[in-house]
Amino acid sequence: MNLVITPAMIGQVVISGLLAGSLYAMVALGLGLIFGVMRVLNVAHGPILMLGAYTTFWLFHWFELNPYLSLLVSMPLLFVVGVVIQGTLVRRVVDAPELSSLLLMFGVSIALVNLVQLGFTSDLRSVEYLTGSFLLGPVAFSKSRVIAFAFALVITVGAFLFLQKTRLGKAIRAVSQSREVAQVCGINVQQIHMIAFGVACALAAAGGSLISVMVAIQPEMGQVWTFKSFLVIVLGGAGNYPGALLGGLLLGLVEQLSSLFLTTQVNEAVAYILLVLVLLVRPTGLLKGRAS
Amino acid sequence: MKRGFRVGLALLLALLALYPLRATGYGIQVMLQLFMWIALAQSWNLISGLTGYVSFGHVAFFGMGAYTTGILITSLAWPWPAASLAGGVTAMLLALVIGWPCLRLKGPYFAIAMLGLNEVLRVIVSYYEGLTGGGSGLSLPTLYASVPIYYAMGLVAAAVTGLTYVIITSRFGLRLMTIREDEVAAEAMGIDTFRYKLYAFVLSAVAPGIVGGLSARDQGYIEPISVFPLLTTITMIVMVLFGGKGTIWGPVLGAVLLFAFQELVWARFIYLHQLLFGAIIVAVVLLMPRGILGVMQQKYNLPRTI
Repeated sequence: MNLVITPAMIGQVVISGLLAGSLYAMVALGLGLIFGVMRVLNVAHGPILMLGAYTTFWLFHWFELNPYLSLLVSMPLLFVVGVVIQGTLVRRVVDAPELSSLLLMFGVSIALVNLVQLGFTSDLRSVEYLTGSFLLGPVAFSKSRVIAFAFALVITVGAFLFLQKTRLGKAIRAVSQSREVAQVCGINVQQIHMIAFGVACALAAAGGSLISVMVAIQPEMGQVWTFKSFLVIVLGGAGNYPGALLGGLLLGLVEQLSSLFLTTQVNEAVAYILLVLVLLVRPTGLLKGRAS
Repeated sequence: MKRGFRVGLALLLALLALYPLRATGYGIQVMLQLFMWIALAQSWNLISGLTGYVSFGHVAFFGMGAYTTGILITSLAWPWPAASLAGGVTAMLLALVIGWPCLRLKGPYFAIAMLGLNEVLRVIVSYYEGLTGGGSGLSLPTLYASVPIYYAMGLVAAAVTGLTYVIITSRFGLRLMTIREDEVAAEAMGIDTFRYKLYAFVLSAVAPGIVGGLSARDQGYIEPISVFPLLTTITMIVMVLFGGKGTIWGPVLGAVLLFAFQELVWARFIYLHQLLFGAIIVAVVLLMPRGILGVMQQKYNLPRTI
């Protein structure tokens, strides 16, 4: 496709990859949290992200609220949604074989997408807030992506500090290491499950709010994020939280590089081959996660 | 009881064979789709119901068959029965190539890998426009062959049900079910689990391939989003779960009930269809994960090979 590849193009690709990767890392951290804590693959993660994007859109549309300020609404709102979903549905399948939770979340996912279609129609929506790019020498970065990167970084680091330093975060990690031992130590496992699910949905919502200024908002925008988040947690090592960060950045880079050397349409195929290779060669992920 | 069942079954098959003589075009279409769903559900049951490996992208084989048939008919002018059988063959080859690495994965990882396979196939098919028509799809020459396709579809559905019966009542089936219950124990007993999983996986791809080809011929038009939808995989799974997974008649029962329900709902609440389907999935998973036949087996002491 591209006959000449200049160093500037490589620089552009690496930076775009890192910018996109930070969002993948943040969203996938949520998916990884749910998987690590309760061994459930949340197929509805993408649709939750879509709800976050719609929250930002409507706040912007009705109240002209700054899309970045709307994070303060979308994250708590989806936290509550996550807690409710966990408390009413997911808790019943935590100990069941993986088919049950996969299907259950898929059911939730199509119900959510359909509800949004009914309520808000399938029209493409957009939040026209920040357009244009910063120029740095020959390299251009879109403003909205740079700001999204900064927010994603802050939120991801915040989530890590929460997991590492606070008592609640330690309890979450304890449950993901061993549910029984955590229970013996007096941790209310069901409560931790609900909080972890809520935090995960808040992270997805943050992703939705941040991308709402860059992409078209429509009910089916989330699905591709579910698959990408799977990829990221497998790359990084399922159940390994810093791994999600590495996996996210890596996926961003791989996608951008494959669109430079091949074409953008084969992104997903390249990412899939990477997924299968990692699963086969190093099923625990690049950083050591939990083996299947 | 057993004899009565056989007589009833033979009568039902005879009725279905004579049905096209009196049926309307719409009736034929409905029955043809029902046969398609029975074949799909039964195939998913072969790999996932028996071995416990959740194939979350089984529609990939359906799409593979549809595109093989479509291309053979449009480019090489093959007759549709041969082209559909070729669809079954390419689906088997795909299962072999994908099963070889992916069946070594366990639990949710296998499910993700299969989910990804389907997405990737869709992307590839959209990309190679020269052969597949890309995103704008592939139109097959017009042909009115509903009735022959009805018989072909029915034959596939009956054949894959028969195959399930043969497998479940054989040592091969017992080995597969041992893998489902405890793979490590199965290995310890000397079962080459990988090989048997691969056999089951390849067998489970044949019928979706053929049915995909027949369906492509019947519809006359295929496009990536219409032959690789995740929703089709989910529908197969829910049919099997609803009827009872790992049984012979469960997938048939689930396909008939769910399909009938969908036809009724589809006609009345077209906008709510997906929402209701989501609710059905949630209800089946939470309220009756063993399925109708699973519950009945438990209650009435029915044979394992029902």
